[in-house]
Amino acid sequence: MTTSTVLLRLTGLTKTFGGLTAVDNVTFDVQQGQIYSIIGPNGAGKTTVFNLITGIYKPTAGDIVLGGQSIAGLTPDRVLRRGITRTFQNIRLFNNMTVLENVLVGQHTRIPGDLPSVLLHLPNYRRADSRAHARALELLRFFGPALVARKDDYAANLSYADRRRVEIARALGSTPKLLLLDEPTAGMNDPETAEAIGYIRTLRNEFDLTILLIEHKLQVTMGISDQICVLDYGKKIAEGVPAEIQRNELVIEAYLGRKAPVE
Amino acid sequence: MSTQTQNLRGPSSIMGTVRERLDKTQIGGRPPSYYLSGWRLGVFFLALALLFPLVTDQTLQVTAISVGVYVLLALGLNIVVGYAGLLDLGYVAFFVVGSYTVAVFTGGILQRSDGTVAEIRQFPFWYLLPLAALLAGLFGVLLGAPTLRLRGDYLAIVTLGFGQILPIVFQNVPWFFGQLGMSALPPPDIGPISFSDTGNRAPFYYLTLLLVVLVILAVSSLRDSSLGRAWVAIREDETAAAASGINLVRTKLLAFGLGAVTGGIGGALNASFLGAIAPTDFNFGISITILVMIVLGGLGSIPGVIIGAMLLRFFDVYLLGKINDTVHSSPLVTGDGSPLHFLATLDFNTAKYLIYGLILMAMILLRPQGLIPNIRRQRELAGIGAAPEGVSAVGLFEQEVAGEELAAVDVGEQTEYVGEGSEALGREDHV
Amino acid sequence: MLVLAAGSSVLFQQIENGITLGAMYALVALGYTLVYGIIELINFAHGDVFMWSTVVILAVAQALGLNHPYTGLALIGILLMLIVIGMAVSATINVSIERLAYRRLRKAPRLAPLIAAIGASFILENVAQLWRGAGFVSFPGIFPAGGITLSGTFGGTLRINNLDIFIIVVAVGLMYGLARFIRLTRLGKAMRATAQDPEAAALMGVNIDRTISFTFLIGGALAGAAGVFYSLYIGQVWFFTGFELGLIAFTAAVLGGIGNIYGAVLGGFLIGLVQSLAIAYIPSGVAWSDATVFAILVLILIFRPSGLLGQQVPNKV
Repeated sequence: MTTSTVLLRLTGLTKTFGGLTAVDNVTFDVQQGQIYSIIGPNGAGKTTVFNLITGIYKPTAGDIVLGGQSIAGLTPDRVLRRGITRTFQNIRLFNNMTVLENVLVGQHTRIPGDLPSVLLHLPNYRRADSRAHARALELLRFFGPALVARKDDYAANLSYADRRRVEIARALGSTPKLLLLDEPTAGMNDPETAEAIGYIRTLRNEFDLTILLIEHKLQVTMGISDQICVLDYGKKIAEGVPAEIQRNELVIEAYLGRKAPVE
Repeated sequence: MSTQTQNLRGPSSIMGTVRERLDKTQIGGRPPSYYLSGWRLGVFFLALALLFPLVTDQTLQVTAISVGVYVLLALGLNIVVGYAGLLDLGYVAFFVVGSYTVAVFTGGILQRSDGTVAEIRQFPFWYLLPLAALLAGLFGVLLGAPTLRLRGDYLAIVTLGFGQILPIVFQNVPWFFGQLGMSALPPPDIGPISFSDTGNRAPFYYLTLLLVVLVILAVSSLRDSSLGRAWVAIREDETAAAASGINLVRTKLLAFGLGAVTGGIGGALNASFLGAIAPTDFNFGISITILVMIVLGGLGSIPGVIIGAMLLRFFDVYLLGKINDTVHSSPLVTGDGSPLHFLATLDFNTAKYLIYGLILMAMILLRPQGLIPNIRRQRELAGIGAAPEGVSAVGLFEQEVAGEELAAVDVGEQTEYVGEGSEALGREDHV
Repeated sequence: MLVLAAGSSVLFQQIENGITLGAMYALVALGYTLVYGIIELINFAHGDVFMWSTVVILAVAQALGLNHPYTGLALIGILLMLIVIGMAVSATINVSIERLAYRRLRKAPRLAPLIAAIGASFILENVAQLWRGAGFVSFPGIFPAGGITLSGTFGGTLRINNLDIFIIVVAVGLMYGLARFIRLTRLGKAMRATAQDPEAAALMGVNIDRTISFTFLIGGALAGAAGVFYSLYIGQVWFFTGFELGLIAFTAAVLGGIGNIYGAVLGGFLIGLVQSLAIAYIPSGVAWSDATVFAILVLILIFRPSGLLGQQVPNKV
């Protein structure tokens, strides 16, 4: 059995906001090439973990290490340059930009941004911009020719499922090593969900990605994950392969036995 | 869900309707809209502009030059407000920096703290123009830096403050002659070209035109670059922009800096043209005037802000006086027992800012995208652009802020840029 | 110690001045903070709303020929009338701006209501200027002079004018009334609910539009009251006071913690004190000007943007 390398390591990751501890001493490893899911009841701190990894929050304690280097506390754009991108729970596209423009923004770091380049459109800028355009089309094509046909539509006009796809295409622009998907199937019906599961797997294979997934639909998680981490009230209460998690009593109690979430 | 091509403007656009009508005919095998769009239209106007001094007299040329200065300022403010969405109310500061740079170094005198005059080396205007641009840009970065983490409202007030403070500082330090300003600045004669003839202002006019054209080219180039996209992205959604690799600090500072550079160029040109600076002219009124120009013309639209600048200057210089005269001599007002009699004593020139206020409110309520809109801004400002999920019962006034007391619900899209417990800092959403 | 003793009468006098001014600043600051708390917008025109109270009551005073100090019932009657009128004027203007502009721009990008606010501010200022001219117009001294003079143990004296007492008492009364109102009445609860979570409040049956309008009404009324006090205190009316006082009051609101009504009151008094002390103790080279206030504001926003009391009223999740 080949030993996988650890791509992302969270150690004792903690985040408090004033009196509330949203993430409490969370530790886990994500292996290269895995699809790793974080699940847990509402309010468990899953998105906060994403926000910590991607630099939107600074950890109160603990560390986040990517490929051997700590990334805790870096700004989001720096985190992207280290190779991590994400999608958002409620899809944050640039609504008044076209589909193509949205995906181009994902490649922002691959185009020279220095003043002479953007002012004068120097040759190396133009080459990079052109390549970015080509790659943007390629990324859209991954999801099918229908999406490519809509490249000049404004993002606001797309269907929900398409918006999700565009968001992923945007996230792939910078050839990340690690892709964070925050509830990618939220709001999707069954056929759409099945399709999403399909393309998540294909994404991992084709783009050589490691995927960290937050997902509420347990069928999705159990079906697609190599490893699952369960959070409840910010703490990790279980970790393992899907079969183990399904049998885990703490997990079952967390999902079924708890009272309604505090308002 | 039609694909939107480059030439398609919304039905509510004036240019769109004109274009639709004209396209019925054909010239040289193509519809007129072919000739009237994009750079061809620009070349057409450029040709007109080049011929302008040949058919006009000195007074019109002077007006045109002054319009040109304002066009420069409008183009600059458009970068900050129109593209990056940062409401800078202190833009006059950069105009001031540019003006003083030229005034001090072409005039060649400074005031010592004991009141006596010190002579310094004089430099030709042409060296000072880039210096003025650079210094203004530097100030743009300096004044923009403290505002980076502030929300729109606060950013506006802080920039307003800077715009007030800077001219006062320049007026109150001992070296720049306080409120008297400086005058008798040498004209920028270069080689055989003389700028000194007050009867023929064509040289200054062409200089102005040259600068305007250069700035237009530069701004268009920026708009169509990755930086331009980055500006729109941070205006749309800062958090998603940062998550896509955009460095918020750098991108915003570039907006402030580049906008300021243009302001500095305008100030330099103006000082050289007038041959003097009058510090009492450097006030909030200028910042507001430019803002009104770009709101009127169209935020984020290059032709829009140019038209806006022209219209407002025209209004200022001609219309206001004409209205004043007409109203004051109208029998409706001067007639005995007329209910409109109070208008006889009303000086419309002092009503200028009242009219500006009315224009601002009218435009933002009725046609926020401006007279000549930029397509994207039209969608955004005229309300077409909000995604279905994005609109809630109370609208987009909701701000997601990391607060002291969060419920046990997963906190969604909150940014550290907000800071805990603070309403002043914050992500910009849909500015 | 000796120095302190010698200067102590100045110190206490300035403190007293500061408290009086602070009371007025607090009232205007409350207007900013209430509006901000509920719709997260800085009402740029709020200072001019304050100014219009001064302008209108000046006109009323002149129309009624009030030109000398009054006493007893006449004084009470006149003060009552002016305060009611001032509050009504400012409240009306504030609500009008909300209905005409802000309400329609609730779904627009944030830039839009800001620009509308600037436009409104300019309109208000310039109409006042056209009506009353660009200079200072004196406000008749209808409040009788007189007050208490205290002699200190170190030989200093402290002068507390009856006017000051009146202002402070009524202002604090209004603030107390506001606090009780917000705590206890249905409308007050609706305001707090809307400030915390408009969607949830709407789902609970709160009429958001009406609640917001009402907030503007209260905020305006408080500013209007401040306008009456200010005219009596300063004895002058000026079309541009709104800008200056608005800036000071806004800084006070931010200092105290924007969105927090106790913060606004605290900030108001603090700024009043700082201003009075600065005028007395700092050599005139550093004049208390717009520039100084802006500097304070910028420093607060850079170093402690949440203000002194944080922001407890709006809790957005």
